[in-house]
Amino acid sequence: MNLNYIIFRNLKKNIKNYYLYVFALIFSVALYFSFVTLQYDPAMEEYKGSIKGAAALGASSVLLVAIVAVFLLYANTIFIKRRSKEIGLFQLIGLTKGRIFRILSSENLILYFSSILIGIFLGFSFSRLILMILFKLVGLEAQATLSFSSGALRQTLIVFGCIYLLIMLMNYMFIKGQSILSLFRVVSTAEIRVKRMSVLEILIGLLGMVMILAGYYVSSILFSGKLTGTTELFATMIFILGSVIIGTYLFYKGSVSFIFNAIRKSKGGYLSLNHVLSLSSIMFRMKSNALLLTIITTVSALAIGLLSLSYIAYYSTEQSARHSVPNHFSVLLPEDAAKFTQALNGENIEYTETRRDVIQIEADVAGIVGSDLGEEFGNTMILPVVSDHQVEGVDVSPEETLFTGSNNALNQFMSLRSTGQIELRGLTLSIPQQLVGVDKDAVVSQYFSLGLPTAIVDQSIYAQLAQDLDPKLQSKSSVYIGIDIPDASMLGKADAIFHDLGFSEQSGYMSQPALIFDQKSSMGLIMFIVGFLGLTFLITSGCILYFKQMDEGEEEKPNYTILRKLGFTQGNLLRGIQIKQLFNFGIPLIVGLLHSYFAVKSGWFLFGTELWTPMVIVMLLYTALYSIFGFLSVLYYKRLIKESL
Amino acid sequence: MAILEATQIHKSYGNKFNKQEVLRGIDLRVEKGEFVSIMGASGSGKTTLLNVLSSIDKVSLGSIKIEGKDFTGMKEKELAEFRKQHLGFIFQDYNLLDTLTVKENVLLPLSIMKVSKKEADQKFQQIASELGIYEIASKYPNEISGGQKQRTSAARAFIHDPSIIFADEPTGALDSKSASDLLNKLSELNRKINATIIMVTHDPVAASYCSRVVFIKDGQIYTQLNKGEETRQHFFNDIIRTQGVLGGVQA
Repeated sequence: MNLNYIIFRNLKKNIKNYYLYVFALIFSVALYFSFVTLQYDPAMEEYKGSIKGAAALGASSVLLVAIVAVFLLYANTIFIKRRSKEIGLFQLIGLTKGRIFRILSSENLILYFSSILIGIFLGFSFSRLILMILFKLVGLEAQATLSFSSGALRQTLIVFGCIYLLIMLMNYMFIKGQSILSLFRVVSTAEIRVKRMSVLEILIGLLGMVMILAGYYVSSILFSGKLTGTTELFATMIFILGSVIIGTYLFYKGSVSFIFNAIRKSKGGYLSLNHVLSLSSIMFRMKSNALLLTIITTVSALAIGLLSLSYIAYYSTEQSARHSVPNHFSVLLPEDAAKFTQALNGENIEYTETRRDVIQIEADVAGIVGSDLGEEFGNTMILPVVSDHQVEGVDVSPEETLFTGSNNALNQFMSLRSTGQIELRGLTLSIPQQLVGVDKDAVVSQYFSLGLPTAIVDQSIYAQLAQDLDPKLQSKSSVYIGIDIPDASMLGKADAIFHDLGFSEQSGYMSQPALIFDQKSSMGLIMFIVGFLGLTFLITSGCILYFKQMDEGEEEKPNYTILRKLGFTQGNLLRGIQIKQLFNFGIPLIVGLLHSYFAVKSGWFLFGTELWTPMVIVMLLYTALYSIFGFLSVLYYKRLIKESL
Repeated sequence: MAILEATQIHKSYGNKFNKQEVLRGIDLRVEKGEFVSIMGASGSGKTTLLNVLSSIDKVSLGSIKIEGKDFTGMKEKELAEFRKQHLGFIFQDYNLLDTLTVKENVLLPLSIMKVSKKEADQKFQQIASELGIYEIASKYPNEISGGQKQRTSAARAFIHDPSIIFADEPTGALDSKSASDLLNKLSELNRKINATIIMVTHDPVAASYCSRVVFIKDGQIYTQLNKGEETRQHFFNDIIRTQGVLGGVQA
């Protein structure tokens, strides 16, 4: 039996235990490699110009490496601790520390680099798929072809080689710093220190929950118009972040055990098996993992939040494009409109034209602005005004005004009410009006509205105001010209014509398809990057929770032995374990989901028009992927319970 | 009436090429209310015997009946059911769950049997004051002494009135004062509620508290001693003498 034999045997034994680690390693290498391949791919060149796709990919690959490196190093600390007894044994039979280090290194070398090679192979096969997903998301219609890039290979090998060296360095320090006796003891120093609840802990537990709730509450009023100054807003955001993160930490440190302890107290010492396995174990364990759980919760909340927001933006592209320009195309000057329609005729493209006269009027909105923000503007706004004759399906009486095309963000900031008294002012005139409602659909382009609502008034009022215009307020054009293409298949062609006429460069000339494309491509890229980073984080943090569960399981194995001797069946124990894992994985998940829900809810209107569908989809997806690790850990426990007697 | 009846039990480990026979045909009868101890040198098979008698390990051959029921052919699920109805355990290293308080540990066997809470409380009060752990009911195992831990373990074994209690070196990790405390309590309970106890030990003092001592050697019963009307000191001397004869390698 020589050293190589020992290495080989260890490897065989370890792979069975660490398949998830190997999987996570392969996965991260594959992802990294495909990211880098994309970066080196010539197909990205054309994409590069517009939104710096490659730069974004490059930056995110750095983040990816950071996540993966932290994960691998952390996982390594767990594993080396588990093997400390073995290391002690090797020392006991006379191997030098250097020799042991060499054994560990070569063992890791084989495991690590074969995973990397598999990862690179998979990454290359998947990079085309990933490129296809990216193209699909950003709406680019290009053929996804990829060539193997030696640059990408080199970069991947260098980066993961460095991580390997770091791991080795860590192992070296671990072995060097330990004596034989202390190595034998590492495992037996349990993480938990079972103690009764002190008053301090109860206070910590309560404080944690209060802080989280306070953060949630403040986040819900963050953009309600009560806070206006930039510094005030910024300070409030910092407060929310701090309060929620510290609250989360205290929650794990105290609240969980506080709540569970209360449940336990109520049982008066008579605990059912499910309580024994879930409550009593989690009570003490969550406390010792508080920091880790806080980090995992916070980062996953961040990932879910960002992903939800970018998906909201992506999902609402069409709506927000329609908000910017209500028709497919809009030009400012009538002669340009003629040029455009002529060209359309030339290509046999049908179209419909909408013209609306728009005047800019100062309006006193003191009666409908709820926030203090109005004061800063003297409670007046310059609003575009349109006659109700020119808007289909709208008819208001001479005393009434209808706001339309209102913007979510504006509504939130100013807390605009949808009814109330306003006053429209011409140069000399001042006409009081009753605001009867706020509609979402825009009737003129952003060029006229600048994001403010458009006021629709009765024709007679419009005529009065038009006679009494303040020339300083008027824009270059006083007519909104919108052109629609009823045949959707012709839209692309029309957009090309629009572009060829040079309209796309000029302000006030807008094309809905181009807007949609622009936003889809930038939001698509952000979604793509956040999505994959989030996935990496999800998988690595899931693995860490799983490894923690492995450790916990090993430590609790004697308990299962006792319980089985007392006459509990494997099925009984497994049911208790399932409940325990429901808490173990469920609590961080639910806290993370709640955090991201409140984060998204406080500011989603800045990103798009639809909150629920995108957010729920992201959350469900996250929950489903996350649950896989919970199931895997239950399977692990099942084996453990079976072996325990 | 015999509570436990083991006939011709064999236990061997390994495969057919390399067989290690640990128990080689043991017959044992334990009557209700007996306090039996099993003694023997290291490797004599006494712990294996206890394990098979208590259904934790399976016999290779032979049958074991507890209260007339043979459990050697039972499936895992039936066995678990059987254990929780009929058996109680006391272990050398206490085997208490660290995360539970003394009371919670003791009440554990009742919770699987779906006993009402009120009844459980009554039971606990009775057995805990008997064993002198009532005052520490809400403490965690790492806050109490070894002797208290072992008495907690004993309370857990007695709480559900099992047909028979198995104790594996219960005094092995205790100092002599705690050990004699525990043994006194055990023999008191043995007399008072007519509990049946089988204890494995290598300590002659501990064995002298019993009503009968069974000596095991090389997987077979070597001899048995009955206490009868003797004093404990006398019985102790008998045990020492037998052990002396038994102890030699040459025998």
